[in-house]
Amino acid sequence: MKSKVNKSAYGYLFISPFFIGYAVIGLVPILYTFYLSLTKWDGFTDPVYVGLSNYQRLLHDSFFFQTIGNTLIIWIFSIVPQLILALLLALILNEKFIRGKHFFRAVFYFPNLISAVTLGVLFSLIFDWQTGAVNKMLMNIGLLHDPINWLKDPWWSRAIAAAVTCWQYFGFNLIVFIAGMQSIPAEVFEAAEVDGATKRQMVFKITLPLLRQVFMFTFITSVIGGLQLFDGPLMLGDGPGNTARTMIMYLYETAFKAFDYSYGAATAYGIFIIIMVFTAITARASRLKE
Amino acid sequence: MNAKKWLSIVLTASMIMILLAACGKGNSNNDSSASPAASPSGSASPSASASAAPADLKGHLVIWTYFDQVKQMADKFTEAHPGVKIDVQIFPGDQYETKLMTALQSGRNVPDIIDLDRGYIGKFLESKFLADLSAMGGEDLVKSYLPYVQAYGRSPDGKLKAISDNSSPGGFWYVRESAKKWLGTDDPDKISSMVDSWDKVIELGKKVAKDSGGKVHLIQSASALNDIMSYNTASWVKDGKLNIDPKWKDTYETELKIRANNVDAKLPFMSAGWGSALNDGSVILTSMPSWAVFMVDNKDGKAKGKFGVAKTPQGFFLGGRYEGIYEKSPNKELAYEVMKFIASPEWQKYNLEKTGNMPGNATVFDQNQDTFKSDLFGDQLILKTYADQMKAMPALQANKYDEGILSKWGKVAGDGLEKGASYDQVVAAFKKEVKNTYPELQVE
Repeated sequence: MKSKVNKSAYGYLFISPFFIGYAVIGLVPILYTFYLSLTKWDGFTDPVYVGLSNYQRLLHDSFFFQTIGNTLIIWIFSIVPQLILALLLALILNEKFIRGKHFFRAVFYFPNLISAVTLGVLFSLIFDWQTGAVNKMLMNIGLLHDPINWLKDPWWSRAIAAAVTCWQYFGFNLIVFIAGMQSIPAEVFEAAEVDGATKRQMVFKITLPLLRQVFMFTFITSVIGGLQLFDGPLMLGDGPGNTARTMIMYLYETAFKAFDYSYGAATAYGIFIIIMVFTAITARASRLKE
Repeated sequence: MNAKKWLSIVLTASMIMILLAACGKGNSNNDSSASPAASPSGSASPSASASAAPADLKGHLVIWTYFDQVKQMADKFTEAHPGVKIDVQIFPGDQYETKLMTALQSGRNVPDIIDLDRGYIGKFLESKFLADLSAMGGEDLVKSYLPYVQAYGRSPDGKLKAISDNSSPGGFWYVRESAKKWLGTDDPDKISSMVDSWDKVIELGKKVAKDSGGKVHLIQSASALNDIMSYNTASWVKDGKLNIDPKWKDTYETELKIRANNVDAKLPFMSAGWGSALNDGSVILTSMPSWAVFMVDNKDGKAKGKFGVAKTPQGFFLGGRYEGIYEKSPNKELAYEVMKFIASPEWQKYNLEKTGNMPGNATVFDQNQDTFKSDLFGDQLILKTYADQMKAMPALQANKYDEGILSKWGKVAGDGLEKGASYDQVVAAFKKEVKNTYPELQVE
């Protein structure tokens, strides 16, 4: 049956600014990065075509593989407490009897408004092992005798990088969870209440199962965001033996500190593939449960 | 075609044009240096322009820098040459280097004069983008220079490509009161002789730690030795191979001894704690470049006469800013007049008095060392303290690898120091880092 909608060709003209903008600002740099990854270029001389040698180098680069592990560890350290905290606070702040919930939602969202760089600097100062507040506080209350050099310890440095991310994003996830909870029809809870369900049962049998799509959304976006961790951890440093260096930090150091643009471009494509794989796994896992 | 369709076409076309215009804006702010009005009238031979009367110079120059005090230099230059206009564009932060490289590579919007930091000057000197100042008469400008200052502006073939108006000498800064209390004197000469070798530093540091019950340290960090030794050792690259000067072994082992004997406060360079210790004297000696006065809390002049500066066991310099001329600048000769100006003793003396930046020209050292005083250092003749060591510093040339490799060494040796790793372990980790970042170098 022929559609009655008037599909005038001028419609394409109206949507063209976005596509032209995307092509110029998005697509061309992506393709140019791929071209660069097939060259040797230091930013001074003209690029020289070298085929896949940058990718071969990447496959044998133990520093790059170390950054993949670091990123995953930091991401896990960050996402688990982040989601638990956001969910618990969302459950509490979604209760009718809580007063000032709008105020608390705004307060918990505040860290999301601060740039990650600022948060990174803030955390590096409070975890400074000689002058930072954390050591001073722990020593004053007698929990520590000698100060801990947090950022020179492989695990603590990763945990602090994760804490920056967790603190920045739990407020955002909190808002998303609350939005998800508010979209659950009130009748479902009322019916459960009539049937004598306890609060605990309502959480586990109604709220959490119906929030599954919201969980998937936060999980997938956090996989993509978490694997691109950069500015916060950059302010905290590479950690001892590069143990807190993330994939994007490595890309940045390669391309913009060592000025090896071509290897940096290959690293960018390597990271793209890794993120794509993890996103696909997450999406697939969500479909399996349906 | 009806009016509605025309309107939609016109609107769409306008949106596309606005979008494209916005994208192209970066490039449309075009090459001010290529402006026809920019050519200097005094464009004869360099020697002719050297003798040109102020009124003869006319034109417009663009300088790119990361350092705001360049404006003072431009003002002083234009005061003497009112026919010249200088547009100083300041790009603070570490994105300056990237911006400069992009501009040079594309050849668009490139300034006439380029400021280069010592940290990355090597690769610029090796590139095709800097004018050969030797061919323009530059050798005359630097003939009275401190050897290391003029050598650092040369390309590998020995041609002068950049000139600095400063020398960034380093020394041990100390709070006089603190030095009197723990070392028994605040006299710079006596303190210099108390720490004229690393063995003496360790012995004195042990005594200070013992006397203070471990609360006061002699130096800020053992890692400071890396900065001091970096210009007293051979280049990291020789004939395409990684070259580790044997002096690094002694240096690292000295660092381990310093750490083991509680001589240093383990404070990273320019960290918050480092700044506090410098100001409150809880660390007695801080190895500092002369330009780092901004780290001193001198609100309402409270640091007046508070500090002294002593010699480090070996002379060193840290940082420094050079200026070069863009090879394709249409204003090369006028830009060269600026080079002549910054190399002149008149400007460097003025700069010394106005900003405290130490001169690169040895004549200025000689002429002012018996008179120059700085507020922070009271009556001390600080140029005199620096002079001998700076004149004796080896005239090393920059290359595109040394600073990058030095920073790798600093990072790996710093990690090693924390763990108490052996020299061999540090070298193994260092080689791995170098091999990874510079695969074109041979690492044995």
